Amino acid sequence: MESLPWQDDLTAAVKQQFGDRVLEFLTYRDQKFIVAAPEAAVALIEYLKFEAGFDYLVDVTAVHWPKREGAQFDVIYILYSFERNDRVRVKVKIADGYKPETVTTVHLTANWLEREVFDMFGIQFASHPDLRRILMPEDWSGYPLRKDYSIIQMDQRWVKENLGIESGQ
Amino acid sequence: MATQTFLDANELVLNMGPQHPSTHGVLRVILNLDGEKILGTDCVIGYLHRGVEKIAENRTYPMFTPYVDRMDYVASISNGLGYCLAVEKLMNLPAPPRAEAVRVILTELNRIASHLVWLGTHALDIGAITPLFYTMREREEALKIFENYCGARLTTHAFRIGGLQYETYDGFEEQVKAFCDAMEPRIDEYETLLTGNRIWIDRLKGIGILTAAECKQYGVTGPMLRAAGVKWDLRKAFPYSGYEKYEFDIPTRENADTYDRYIVRMQEMRQSVRIVRQAVANIPDGPIIAKVPKVVKPVPGEVYVSIEAPKGELGYYVVSDGTNQPYRVRVRPPSFINLQSLEKMAKGALIADIVAIIGTIDIVLGEVDR
Amino acid sequence: MRKLLRTIFLVDLAQGLWVTFRSQSTKNIYTEQYPAERPKVAERYRGAPRLNNNPDTGETLCICCDLCGFACPEQLIVVSSVRNPETRRKELTNFTYDVSRCMFCGLCEDACPVDCLELTQDFEIAQYSREGLIWDRQMLEEGPKPTQYSS
Repeated sequence: MESLPWQDDLTAAVKQQFGDRVLEFLTYRDQKFIVAAPEAAVALIEYLKFEAGFDYLVDVTAVHWPKREGAQFDVIYILYSFERNDRVRVKVKIADGYKPETVTTVHLTANWLEREVFDMFGIQFASHPDLRRILMPEDWSGYPLRKDYSIIQMDQRWVKENLGIESGQ
Repeated sequence: MATQTFLDANELVLNMGPQHPSTHGVLRVILNLDGEKILGTDCVIGYLHRGVEKIAENRTYPMFTPYVDRMDYVASISNGLGYCLAVEKLMNLPAPPRAEAVRVILTELNRIASHLVWLGTHALDIGAITPLFYTMREREEALKIFENYCGARLTTHAFRIGGLQYETYDGFEEQVKAFCDAMEPRIDEYETLLTGNRIWIDRLKGIGILTAAECKQYGVTGPMLRAAGVKWDLRKAFPYSGYEKYEFDIPTRENADTYDRYIVRMQEMRQSVRIVRQAVANIPDGPIIAKVPKVVKPVPGEVYVSIEAPKGELGYYVVSDGTNQPYRVRVRPPSFINLQSLEKMAKGALIADIVAIIGTIDIVLGEVDR
Repeated sequence: MRKLLRTIFLVDLAQGLWVTFRSQSTKNIYTEQYPAERPKVAERYRGAPRLNNNPDTGETLCICCDLCGFACPEQLIVVSSVRNPETRRKELTNFTYDVSRCMFCGLCEDACPVDCLELTQDFEIAQYSREGLIWDRQMLEEGPKPTQYSS
């Protein structure tokens, strides 16, 4: 099943506001998502919050597609509107090393969520107030949820220094 | 110009946890104190990080179901329900009505059990020891139902993708009904112990206030949001698993403090009993599992499905690439996001209140760290 | 006035204590005297694994299909078999089950097409060493034998 395009008054308003910076409006299994250009993400989320009522940022996450040329990562923002009772996802495709702007300026909840994305994928959010690792130890090297990180892989140096054993396996 | 007192010059940093009885697990909070007053908090989490999302990428879809139970281990059935619904949505394979009804019964019983654990430990943190014994007694009854149904008490693995593995046992309805009958007077009993208790009120009223606007800013869901007056429940907003068939209210309160969250959770337990009564009165006949292919292989795509777990919105974002293993499973844990608001709630509170504030968020560290 | 009377006669305290005393009845005892009395676990309890034998012939029911090994999320089941050249059937030589890594999810028992592998009601599976928790075929067929310290 392919993702289908989707149209209503929201897409028209967003299209008018952002023009080419919003690439696609798609639905899959009746779940809407907007594919946006990386530099437009924060502006779009801000617009959706203040003009369209999507005032609750449900989740920020990322997906690693190592085989995709040029844009290895999807960064996904899930938004919810209490007024419309509707969910929409904003999807941004970025290359490895690209630093997307933080959305903590719009939604405070993005603070820890972006920290987790940084921790797991190594995506650095520009001008994030407190970009540290959150779940892994702070001096761990490597980003576990990248596809090239094997499930039994670990930071040997960290394990040796902190646990005093050769390997955690 | 502010006058510099002796205390201003001596900001004390105090380390609370990771081994502290009232942090409900391995949560470490670094407190910046000015005397008894909290100036700032910094949560250090990750002590229980097991890489559940990484494990998911290396297991097939059915194999991953037991792992989700280990996240929020006091409400494992809700976790399993969320994951199964997400994969069912991805495959467009709804569970049959009988399975849905049994799922609702078990999930609501689990909500009661989870709230009972919360109530007992929260009261224990505040200094009331007695409610813990009573709540554990009732929880035991709920866990016995789970054990009889699926053979495990805590990490149940009760649901499978597409429906249920186990048919209900003989006497299931009677046992559930007996539990409901016993539960309602017991909730009254807890309320006689706590609701009007002077110490309880003094310790909780006006503590940890998080208004509706702040809740939305911090993404806080569940009873905390409802205690701030927002009438929002995913069971009503996006009904799943046949919740639209049952009548229940969404309890809300206005003051958004710790005491109101207690009241909201108590009323939620009553509503859960109400749902269970309706569900158990007519469990439809029919198959308990949909026609699930031998190898679960969804077509490439992505869905986000969330349910109302006892702690808030529990979401699963599942990406498939057409193989039998999920390409990515993202769990949106309610505890993790609710815990973020601790910083806001604790600011300016006293050091004795932080225990009440951590308790009121109702965190399970297995879910925070995953 | 009413509030004052409530305070003088300690009504709230009495209410609270009434709840306490009501629960003092001996029929409300929930504590299990575990080593002295074995608790009764549910019929569907998922405990120690067992390989079932055919009760009539005493031969194993296992057909060495290895479906349990494929179903196991922890990949802790190893089924070794040889093909009998006469009957063209696989015969079980060994079956290892690493209980130390098992989370008793029951997926292996669901996968078994002949009801051979089963998670039983036995729950006393503690051992003195980690190696003791890697069970072989004999152990799986006989079941764990915990040391009895009391009569």
